[in-house]
Amino acid sequence: MIYEKNKRYIIPFDDVPTGRANMPEISVDERKGNFTEVETGFPEDVALTEAKRCLSCRRCLGCALCWAECKPEAIDFSIPHQEMELSFDEVVITSGQDNAFERISPQLGYGNYADVITDLHFERMLSPTGPTDGLVVSPRDGEVPKKVAIIQGNVKGGDDHLLSSLVLGVNEAILAVNKVDDLAISLISPVCQAFKDRFSGEAAKLKGLTIIEGAPESVERPQEGGALTLTYSQDGGSKKEDFDMVVVLTKPKISPEVAAMAKKLKQDVI
Amino acid sequence: MEEKKVLIVGGGIEGVRTAVKKAEAGANVTIIEKFPTLGAQRIPRDRIITPDNAFENPDLDKVRNNPKVEVMTYSDIKRVTQNDGKVNAKIKKKSIRVDNSKCNDCKACIKVCPVNMYDDFDEGFTFRTAVDYFNSTAGEYNIFKEDMPVCQRTCPVNLDIRTYVGQIADGKALNALETIRDRLPLPGSIGRVCPHPCETACNRQYLDEPISICFLKRYAADVELAQNIEPAYKTPEKKHPEKIAIIGAGPAGLTCAYDLARKGYQHITIFEALPVPGGYLWVGIPEYRLPKKLLKREVDLIAAMGVEIKYNARVGKDITMDQLRKDFDAVFIGAGCHRGLKLQCPGEDDYQGKGIVDCVTFLRKQALGELPKPNGKLIVIGGGNAAIDSARVGWRMGFDEVYILYRRTKKEMPANPWEIDAAEHEGVILQYLAAPVEILGDGNKVTGMKCIKMELGEPDASGRRRPVPMEGSEYTIDAGTIVPALSQGTDLSFLGENSDIAVNRWNTFDVDEETGMTNVPGVFAGGDVVTGADIAIRAVAGGKRAALGIDQYLRSR
Repeated sequence: MIYEKNKRYIIPFDDVPTGRANMPEISVDERKGNFTEVETGFPEDVALTEAKRCLSCRRCLGCALCWAECKPEAIDFSIPHQEMELSFDEVVITSGQDNAFERISPQLGYGNYADVITDLHFERMLSPTGPTDGLVVSPRDGEVPKKVAIIQGNVKGGDDHLLSSLVLGVNEAILAVNKVDDLAISLISPVCQAFKDRFSGEAAKLKGLTIIEGAPESVERPQEGGALTLTYSQDGGSKKEDFDMVVVLTKPKISPEVAAMAKKLKQDVI
Repeated sequence: MEEKKVLIVGGGIEGVRTAVKKAEAGANVTIIEKFPTLGAQRIPRDRIITPDNAFENPDLDKVRNNPKVEVMTYSDIKRVTQNDGKVNAKIKKKSIRVDNSKCNDCKACIKVCPVNMYDDFDEGFTFRTAVDYFNSTAGEYNIFKEDMPVCQRTCPVNLDIRTYVGQIADGKALNALETIRDRLPLPGSIGRVCPHPCETACNRQYLDEPISICFLKRYAADVELAQNIEPAYKTPEKKHPEKIAIIGAGPAGLTCAYDLARKGYQHITIFEALPVPGGYLWVGIPEYRLPKKLLKREVDLIAAMGVEIKYNARVGKDITMDQLRKDFDAVFIGAGCHRGLKLQCPGEDDYQGKGIVDCVTFLRKQALGELPKPNGKLIVIGGGNAAIDSARVGWRMGFDEVYILYRRTKKEMPANPWEIDAAEHEGVILQYLAAPVEILGDGNKVTGMKCIKMELGEPDASGRRRPVPMEGSEYTIDAGTIVPALSQGTDLSFLGENSDIAVNRWNTFDVDEETGMTNVPGVFAGGDVVTGADIAIRAVAGGKRAALGIDQYLRSR
């Protein structure tokens, strides 16, 4: 049945061959004193089964179904790519739309529990044009949560990261409490000075939102089908609290290509 | 005065905002974003919002309607170079494959598209098809096609793996072979020796294990052999008159010749110093990994296209480089890395050729049948694939015992793990954390080696932990033959003195990224003479690149 590997769920279908084929070899005794080829090659049935394992990772297959279907003949596979050389006086490098983020500690349950989501997921969920038409629902059971924790995923991410992720967390909380009656949101994160100076006053006035200056430690589901238990540290002590859904604040990760370009041009990525 | 031109890399919130700022300050701005849309519709991270304006982004409209801002989405930056304070960028704007001026938004394309993939814009919450209206506010459709699947992108010669594996799955191995040969003339050989970077990238590994791509390639080639089919490589009707010289019949040179012949060049001569073709594939890869008969057949197929291979023709000795450049319209250097590096330890120079033989020479002499009968024990020093090959060859030759000495542990060993396992399996004795101290001999020949045990200290510049000798842990191994297998370098003496072809400090050539041309017009290089000792498939890629460059060069003359 469905099993989990590297934080992904896998459904082992009977008709999909699993496991890699082994290359047949001649025995060690047969090798001594001669140079006969060791690996003897796949027999036909093994080769075919092995080739069928290919997932054909693809986007457009080139099946032309859309092309045949398009009445106004707008689909045109012959539109060429364009290559050009341009010259600039100045370059500004930003991380773009890449939504990769820095690693989140597995302790926080992201990837393990369907109802632990990232701030990026939450943003899509809150968007009126998003996958849930703006409805706040737990991806685990489709229920509307009553208690949500927004927790910091990169406690040591630096002050700039804390500031922007906290503001995002507060903004998402504002949208969420406006959509769900009596929703209680706790935002648990270390708080940087810049946030205190500029936003703490406003955030304190918000109904339904509590900001807890602390560091999340772990998220667990002690009981199958039950609530998530969040453990966090605050003022040197450790506290436990139950939530219906947990949102992890992420730190954007710069893609290697962008990082390499920034290094080549000796610039920072903003 | 001309207006300042600003390039913004990335069309996210920051990119769009910076673009507005720069444009308002009077600059001409270009935004390059790799996704098909600008991603500025996000909850701001720098101010507290009211729910009404959460997903509004005034910047986006400012950018879209600003004549000073050019938005290039679905575009990749291929290369940036900097000179004189200017930044030059090579940009590829990918085709969206939809003429949106004709599109009537009926969504019929979306209904029929059979592709079902995670919608990355919705963070994988939903699925979408390959046809998408990414830019819903602008009503723009596009058809999303990855540049290449990961395996193909990772392969240095961009073999169409997805297609040929699919053809094998359909039982059409010969069609698969045709697909492979479209880019690679040596499928049987590469299918046996390639360390397959494609498999390292394969997406199936996240499910269970990667597809056995390399062996499937070999399978396709084996089917042809088993069915006794003699294919004929076609050359075009239209021939070109130019003469091309290729130095070295290794994977780079052979591929270069193959590609050029397929472009219609009929006067291609390969100068090979050895009496055999294949370069390192013949004299470096042992017979038990790649049977010579098979390699010879693949070379013969290339020769049958009208490529002349001159054996025992060493450039620099039998013909000078200057003569080549005079006699031929273009020259390709694919001489490889056939010089084994030295150990640099006492006694080495005294016994050079008297029991000490570097791995390149050892493997070459074995392949050519020039090695004397084995006597005593064999010590191989090093942790790369050449070390394993030398040891496994020694074991087959019948040395009493075969040792591999490596100064770090198995984990750090650069050789392919399956090769290490095979050597261990066959009975090669691997001594980790050990290094040579001195070569011992009786004045005439090597009798053994003094070694020292090592331990791992702090990580060095390469990130691997630096081995440190343990004091007082010296020991001796008796041996008749010692094979240092440290690394391989180029031998560029064939260029002659006062050569105008620039050589860098690694004693390799710097070539143009797109054409493979050296600093001298008409002289190209590829393979190990450019990359340093590297895997065969990358040499093939070097040969392909140069073939393209040579064609461009000759056709534009």
